[in-house]
Amino acid sequence: MTAEEQQMIEHIVRLIRKPGANIDENTPLVSSGLIDSMALVDLLLKLEDLTLRRIPAGKVQPKDMNTVALMFATAQRVGKARK
Amino acid sequence: MNRFRNLIDALAAAPGDRPFVTAWIDEDEQETVTFAEFRRRARSQAKMLSEYEVNTGDRVIILMPQQIAAMTTFVGAMMLGAVPAFLAYPNFKVEASKYRAGLAGVTANLKAKMVVIDDAFPEDMLGHVHLCEEAKLIRAGDSKSVGAEVELHDLEVRPESLAFIQHSAGTTGLQKGVALTHAAVLNQLEHLAHALKIDGEKDSVYSWLPLYHDMGLIACFILPMVCHMRVVMQSPLDWVMHPETMLQIISEYKCTLAWLPNFAFQFVPRRTPPNRWAQYDLSSARALINCSEPVRSSSMQEFENAFSAIGLKSGTLHSSYAMAENVFAVTQSDINAPSGPNRVWADGQRFRSMHVIAPVAQGTPGAVCFTSSGRLLPNNEARIASDSGILLAPGFVGEILVKSDSLFTDYYNRPDLTAKAIVEGWYSTGDLGFTLEDQLYVIGRKKDLLIVGGENIYPQDIEEIVASHPAIHDGRAVAMGVYNSDLGTEDIVVVAEVEREELLTNTVDIEREIRNLVVGGIGVAVRTIFLKPPKWVVKSTAGKAARSGTREKLLKEHPELDVRGSGD
Repeated sequence: MTAEEQQMIEHIVRLIRKPGANIDENTPLVSSGLIDSMALVDLLLKLEDLTLRRIPAGKVQPKDMNTVALMFATAQRVGKARK
Repeated sequence: MNRFRNLIDALAAAPGDRPFVTAWIDEDEQETVTFAEFRRRARSQAKMLSEYEVNTGDRVIILMPQQIAAMTTFVGAMMLGAVPAFLAYPNFKVEASKYRAGLAGVTANLKAKMVVIDDAFPEDMLGHVHLCEEAKLIRAGDSKSVGAEVELHDLEVRPESLAFIQHSAGTTGLQKGVALTHAAVLNQLEHLAHALKIDGEKDSVYSWLPLYHDMGLIACFILPMVCHMRVVMQSPLDWVMHPETMLQIISEYKCTLAWLPNFAFQFVPRRTPPNRWAQYDLSSARALINCSEPVRSSSMQEFENAFSAIGLKSGTLHSSYAMAENVFAVTQSDINAPSGPNRVWADGQRFRSMHVIAPVAQGTPGAVCFTSSGRLLPNNEARIASDSGILLAPGFVGEILVKSDSLFTDYYNRPDLTAKAIVEGWYSTGDLGFTLEDQLYVIGRKKDLLIVGGENIYPQDIEEIVASHPAIHDGRAVAMGVYNSDLGTEDIVVVAEVEREELLTNTVDIEREIRNLVVGGIGVAVRTIFLKPPKWVVKSTAGKAARSGTREKLLKEHPELDVRGSGD
């Protein structure tokens, strides 16, 4: 797991208010109901900060945000390096 | 008498070399099409639809991202005399079950012949696209003739033919398809273009508004098409994530007009770091129009205070009262007024207990400020009616009824809803308001109103006061009515998010201060205050507090409450 993925997991644990929650990069988040869809804008902004990429929100689908690993893969696939 | 017989004639008359739509993706990626190119692509889409035997009167649902292809498909359907409707494209925030339910209801009600999706439509969402028996699902690029010059047979589209269906906004209202004729749409646009003094050559529109909403569809797509004016648009989601891009786009493209819901006037300055404001220039803007939510003077003031130093001129912020059922606008504030829409201060006590507007001087203790939505457009009439249907004089608060030459024909396939909504030619809007000196003031939704001991209390007034407390996260307060069976009236319950979780260790002081603020501000007592941690309040797509969602969540956590009344 990368340092950035670890930071994202810590951010999610804070967001869902479950200290000590057992989340890794492959834990389903949306499909399991762990996070709701309204939190995804917040996660997408965090993803932009951690990857230093600009992510066009219109090109992101629910499945792309379901795990931390998928989020970072999505950032690589559709994101562009920030100026 | 309209200049054009139908919307296709209006598009055909546009100068071919003039830019029409610019789709702004980000700093590096934009696409602009001229009117000529737009017409060519629309004809190509019409050809594609005709290959699938789409004919006059057939409903065509468009489920495509907010890009130029969605717009050319929409117009392509109209070129065949078919009746297109935009529906929301799935995005990463959508909950599959809600999306499925909304879409199934709408597609079934429209009995659509065709559902058009884009090539990138997510496979896992395809199962949520409900098709009725005769409907076909096709991809927008599925034409044998894409790229070629396409000849279409001349088709006479009569003014009284249906042009398209737009769906009235709201979290649960997606089922209501508002059917609009070419004549109604052209009437509306003629009045609006006149009120705004639009010059197609010099004006250009900025938009982040969704095409399935009347502001996005009418003001930011069909109006520019008919007035031969440029529109620069971005996706609503990209704007919500980076509201600063609105300043960037207006500066870069020197846009002159934009429509925004009230909350955006706070959202943009608050989400754009002040040290970056100076990078932008709003001097090109001549009308930024507050529309689709009750107009709050404080929101407009915040925007003006923030951006007057970067070229925003006094008198640029305007207001309008609009709804899908009237195609769009009913009123528009005077575009030449040097300081924007009229405001009136009224005695708060008389407003709440007697539902009457008694003007007082600005600054009078207990006064309530209202911002006008402007004067009626030509051929638009408004009445104010009491609950028992009695017509009220200027200065009295009641439900707004509207009649015009752009009023909708019916809710598509829903004669039951149409009969309830239109009585003797007057449409009951469900909005509360009053008239004063030829101006219309809109207060809020009738169903949101709380009636406490015979006084009319508007939830947004309480929410604004609660959110002004420094411990409360701005915009994250929701007020609602709870029926008190002992007293036979509603009690006010407030749920609000604190700024930081540690503030929850001392809720007693915060609650007391909030109660004092509300009593001092509008003279009513709050029965219960629920203080919640950050991010607790349910938000809408655009990030503002959603009343109905928050109410549902509160009920779930506190089943002892009998919450009723307000909704979105």
